[in-house]
Order: sequence, then structure tokens, then C-alpha cells
Amino acid sequence: MKKNLFAIVAIVMALSLTSCDYNSLVEKQESVESAWSQVENVYQRRADLIPNLVNTVKGYAAHEKETLEGVIEARSKATQITVSADDLSEENIKKFQAAQGELQQALGKLLAITENYPDLKANENFRDLQAQLEGTENRITVERQKFNETVKEYNTSIRKFPTTIYAGWFGFEKKGYFEAQAGAEKAPEVQF
Amino acid sequence: MLVLCVTTVAQAQIPDAPNPPRLVNDLAGVFTAGQVKLLEDSLVSFARRTSNQVTIVTVADLGGMEASQFAYEIGEKWGVGGSKNNNGVVILVKPKTDTKGEVFIATGYGVEGVLPDASCSRIINNEMIPEFKNNDYFAGVVRALNVIMPVLAKEYSIEEYEKAAEGVPPFAVLFLAIFVVFMFLLLMKDHNDKDNDRNGNSGTFGGGNSGSDVATAILLGSLLGGRSSGRGGSFGGGSFGGGGFGGFGGGSFGGGGAGGSW
Repeated sequence: MKKNLFAIVAIVMALSLTSCDYNSLVEKQESVESAWSQVENVYQRRADLIPNLVNTVKGYAAHEKETLEGVIEARSKATQITVSADDLSEENIKKFQAAQGELQQALGKLLAITENYPDLKANENFRDLQAQLEGTENRITVERQKFNETVKEYNTSIRKFPTTIYAGWFGFEKKGYFEAQAGAEKAPEVQF
Repeated sequence: MLVLCVTTVAQAQIPDAPNPPRLVNDLAGVFTAGQVKLLEDSLVSFARRTSNQVTIVTVADLGGMEASQFAYEIGEKWGVGGSKNNNGVVILVKPKTDTKGEVFIATGYGVEGVLPDASCSRIINNEMIPEFKNNDYFAGVVRALNVIMPVLAKEYSIEEYEKAAEGVPPFAVLFLAIFVVFMFLLLMKDHNDKDNDRNGNSGTFGGGNSGSDVATAILLGSLLGGRSSGRGGSFGGGSFGGGGFGGFGGGSFGGGGAGGSW
């Protein structure tokens, strides 16, 4: 009996000591979620550019059918995988990253073959698209980096004592990171 | 985790924000002192007038980083632009040495709309690289500002620039415009001087340092105002010696912009 009472007092004390901690966890979770929506935005931005890019390339290199179809297919696969902001588990992020990685690889192949079409490369519309695509890739890097930073802060705080005791009760679970550019995700280098 | 480590390493190579704060940071030494002052004065008065902060950074070496990342990190680390509107622009130039020259225009979150990546790319290819190839870094930067500043100030849209770029005005026309503005200002000055001071060397060409400064200011001003007629000389003129730059505002960047190399 005495033991139970002690436990209850200890828990109440821990909670009262860290009540602001709960609020800060909520805030950190919010920033993770808003960072995630930025990540989704930039990936969506890339997906939105692709139809236009494919059509432009088609006009000059219609017989590169396989590569063009590869991009379209990878795009539709990648856009099917969405992760909701309240379920950012490591597994989900990994899946998302894998699908987007495949799209990036397909795009890399497409851009590599455009090197063989000087007329295409001189096309103003294509050059604009290329600049937009590069800008989007930069944005993806930046937003992933920002997302990782907020997740790191959040993950660190839910693992700190005594927060770690009750973080689970309130549903504060560890969230996944983006992994550093794996080999599969890097656009293939063009060799001549 | 690895990403985070890489970031920390990368940031170690990014120069610290200038103290006292400056908008023109010629770390590679490609401008003359007069050119630096001119650009600084123009950009400071522009920042005061419109709240947009445009910073010019030249570096001799990118430390193995991509120009895009370097420019982004500067924007983010220095906080170029206001924290509310995120209206900063970083123009990064790595002059050509043994290694290729590189240039990048990084746009803050708030200006991505008025200055899209494709337009940054056109500005670089049409205005900057042709001058940089002749080793004229000042002219390249001024021509880029000529487009960027009015666009940021919403005085004209980037679409108008792109249309106008199809028929770039020949240099002769530009020179004529400059000359007209110059003569006009000279006459004005002469007129004013008549009341105050008749025996000095008033209103003569290239009198002293200040004279040539004014001449260059007018040149810069008309270059900056060149494309839309009748607005020539509105930049660069005004606020000379009106105090320095107040400091960066904590603006944030998201990786927008475009680059080029030569």
C-alpha cells in the first residue's frame, strides 16, 4: 500500500515538474509536421514538372520510348506513396524515400540521354524546365535537411528522462529520418 | 545522421556574416573599391526603399561545395531578407581562375514567386555570363541587378523582362540613354550651382573623386533603370552617405534559384 502511494506521488511529481515539457513536445511535433508538409510540397513540385518535361523531350527524342515510359511509371508509383503527417514512422519514410529515389534515378537517365540531342538542349522551353528541375532538386535537399533537423530535436526530447517515461502514453513516438543520399538515389553520372 | 554531419562540415566553410553588416562582400576581390561602394550604396538604398535585401558575395573558392548549396547556406546562415517576408536574394560569384567560374542566384522563400528558377537561369545566361567571360564582373552584376531590382520592387514583372530579352537593346541605345541622363543631371547641377558658388570648378567633368563617383552613379543608375524608359537614374542617385546597412533580417531560404558556369 505504502509502496503504491509512493509510486503515485512520484508520478504526479514527475508530471507536474514536466508539465511544460508536454507542451514543448506538442510544439516540437507540430514543427516536425510542418517540416513534413514542406517536404511533400517540394516532391509534389517535382512530380508536377514531369509531364511537361516528358512532352518536351518527346518532341525531339520520341524513339527513346523506354526511358520516357520509365519516368512516367516511376512518377505514378512515387505519387501513390504518401505518408500522413501523424504517421511518420521510420518504415514509412523509408518507403517514401525509396519510391522517390526510383523516380530520381529515372529522371537522371532521361536527362543523360538529352545530352545526345543538341536541338533539344538549345530549346528555350527545355532549358527553363531543366533550371526548374535543378531548383526543385535543391529544394528537396534543403527541405529534407530541415525535416531531419526538426525530427532530431523531437526524437532527442522524447528520449530524455523523465519525458521518456510518459512520452509513449501520449502517443509521442519516434519518427523516421531521411537517410543520406544512397547510391541508388544519386543521378547516374554520364560517361563519354 | 550522416546528413546532419555533412551539414555541419559544410557550414564550417561558409564565411561568417560580415560585421559590420554589408550587402556587398567581395571576398574574391574582383571589384574596385569604387565599384564596391557604388553597389553597396545602391543595394542599401534599395533595401531601405523596398525592404528586399540583395547581397552580393564573391569567393575565390567554394571549398568543394556546389555553388547552389554555398549560396543557400549563406542566405540561411546570414539571414538575408526579412524574417517575415523572407525576401532575400544571394548573388554568389566564384570568378574563373584555374577552375571554371561559377555563379548562383539564390532566392529566399518569399521571392521564389516573383523570381522563379527559370528566370534566374535566364538572367545568368543572358546578363551575367557574357560579361563575366570578358572578365567584367562589375558589368555582369550590374546587368543582373538591372533586372532583379525592378522585379523585386514589383515595378515590372519577370515576364516583361523575358519578352524584352528577345530583342535586347543594342549597347548604343543604352549609351545614348546614359548620355542624355548625364547631360540632364549636369545641367541641373550647373543650374543649382549658379546660386551658390560661381568661382569653384562647379559642374565640370571628372573634377575630383566625387565627380567621377557621381558619373559612375549615374551610369549605374541608368543601367539599372535602362529597360523601362523614363525611369533612368532613379537608382544609385539618392541616398549617398546616408548611413550604412542596418543588418540582415533573418530571412529563410528553401533552395530556390539557379546557377551557371563558364
